[in-house]
Amino acid sequence: MKNKLSNISNPLFKLSVTGFLLLFSYSASTTAADFPQAGNFSNGSKVWADNCNRCHNIRGPKELRDDQWISTSFHMRLRAGLTGQETRDVITFLQASNTKTVASGATQVAAVISKGGTAKETYEKTCIACHGSDGKGAFPGTPDFTLKEGALSKSDEVLIENISNGFQSEGSPMAMPPKGGNPNLSETDVGNVLSYIRKTFGN
Amino acid sequence: MKLSCYMFRRKLLVSAFSLALPTIALAESSNANLQKQIDELQNQVSALNSEVQQAAEWKNPNTLVHMAGYADVGFVSPENGNDSFVVGTFAPIFHFQYRDVVMLESELEFEITEDGETEVALEYLTIDWFVSDYAAVIAGKFLSPIGQFRQNLHPSWVNKMPSAPPGFGHDGAAPISDLGVQVRGAIPLGSIRANYAVYASNGPELNSVTEDETEFELEGIRAEGFGADRDGDKTIGGRFAILPVSSVEIGVSIAIGKATVTELENEVEPPTAGLEPGLIAGESARDYDVIGADFVWFTGNMSLRGEYVKTQIGEATTGTTAGESATWESLYAQLAYRLPKSKWEGVIRYADFDSPHNSEDVTQTMLGINYLVSNNFIAKLAYESNDGTVGEPSDDDRTLLQLAYGF
Repeated sequence: MKNKLSNISNPLFKLSVTGFLLLFSYSASTTAADFPQAGNFSNGSKVWADNCNRCHNIRGPKELRDDQWISTSFHMRLRAGLTGQETRDVITFLQASNTKTVASGATQVAAVISKGGTAKETYEKTCIACHGSDGKGAFPGTPDFTLKEGALSKSDEVLIENISNGFQSEGSPMAMPPKGGNPNLSETDVGNVLSYIRKTFGN
Repeated sequence: MKLSCYMFRRKLLVSAFSLALPTIALAESSNANLQKQIDELQNQVSALNSEVQQAAEWKNPNTLVHMAGYADVGFVSPENGNDSFVVGTFAPIFHFQYRDVVMLESELEFEITEDGETEVALEYLTIDWFVSDYAAVIAGKFLSPIGQFRQNLHPSWVNKMPSAPPGFGHDGAAPISDLGVQVRGAIPLGSIRANYAVYASNGPELNSVTEDETEFELEGIRAEGFGADRDGDKTIGGRFAILPVSSVEIGVSIAIGKATVTELENEVEPPTAGLEPGLIAGESARDYDVIGADFVWFTGNMSLRGEYVKTQIGEATTGTTAGESATWESLYAQLAYRLPKSKWEGVIRYADFDSPHNSEDVTQTMLGINYLVSNNFIAKLAYESNDGTVGEPSDDDRTLLQLAYGF
């Protein structure tokens, strides 16, 4: 009987291994193009927020696939007057923000996103591109933290959940990715940066 | 007692064995089913793996093929004239990119004329060689880097109004495109950023018009990327812009060169005997000078931009169209504001255009309201108040509706 049970558990183990191989083979085969070199995610988000809106309505990361963002960004490098490094940075940001399930891309990006640091540093590295240095939002659709009845009127519990899991504000061209796109942020980092935002911009 | 005990143990053993048999049979059956499922799953994984490998070829090539572009349709209601539905432009843009080294870019422009004909034009075709982080060499027919409107703002999904400011369309004050070579890029200057574009091109050509077929005058500048340099002198130009902060860009532009008359309108046969095709006897190469300035400031939901351009053609003492110098000059300022937490956007634009022909001069004030269905699909409604010469098209007010889609 014991022998029979081990025979039954063996196929279950095989089933698990097969499932794992299925996921692995999928993620390994969907590696994005090996060019350009990975840039800086945080700087890329700032380049995106600072430059795209200068001429046209800002386009959300999810509008295009990884390969489409490469060609689009090289096209825009010439139109917007970006350096090569700024172009690589913005591609890294857009490719990491257009989906939650690009396994290899996420790994690549995680390596170039710095950890939280102080709450002020976290805000300046992860949040400032979209929310702006004054908390009023860097482009149309981003919530204005300084408004009395604005985003900060919500409870800490709701805001921490929004920051942690991602959230799309009404009228915003894109959803805020989980933890602002920086997976290295801990729960403590998220709580600290929310306190910093309330203290700096709240009424 | 011994017998009864023996009988009891025997019954117990038989009962236990009888109970165990179905369990063993059930286990063997489950095992067989699971093995079958695994075999099927492995076959599916194998097939899927093959498909994914093929699909991945599209994600990881050295050459990327990409299409973008824009299109717009609309409705025009002039104060004097019939209302019309219009198809503005369908402009697909093709990108063929080899790694991060080079990109071929091309935009076609399809338009339907009032006669129902479809016109196709090559808006631009360039090979962009990214030689360093700070410079790219662009060869071919490119959008003029003079100012901002032509090179960045003219696509209908980008332009916040359904029409171009007077002087920034075709045959206006601002050059449309050039054919030659250009170097452009960005310069980081600490916290300040700057970008530049310098170019050498064949330059524009001129056309002239007559009313009595004896005296001609300059009609306009055709600055649309000619494939020959009929005046023999290359046009040199460029733009330099500085961004003191990320929300402000200030640019200045200049171009100098020569241009000559190559077309006499009203179906007059030009005197060309003994000359290269396209040249008109006696026409000299005139000075061609362009200066321009532009700025943009955006913050939160608001953007303010403006642009000025002046194109001057020097005098000619010989030729069919001999005459004094001529100047085309235009400026516009535009303020746009998007209502917070909404998809509505209000726009106001003021423009003033002066040309050598009084009938074309116009002062235009435009009020518009846009609804951003999405950030790349915009519905626009605008009223265009034109103050020009009475009785001329330049004096005709218009209401315009437009749906513009960028892809």
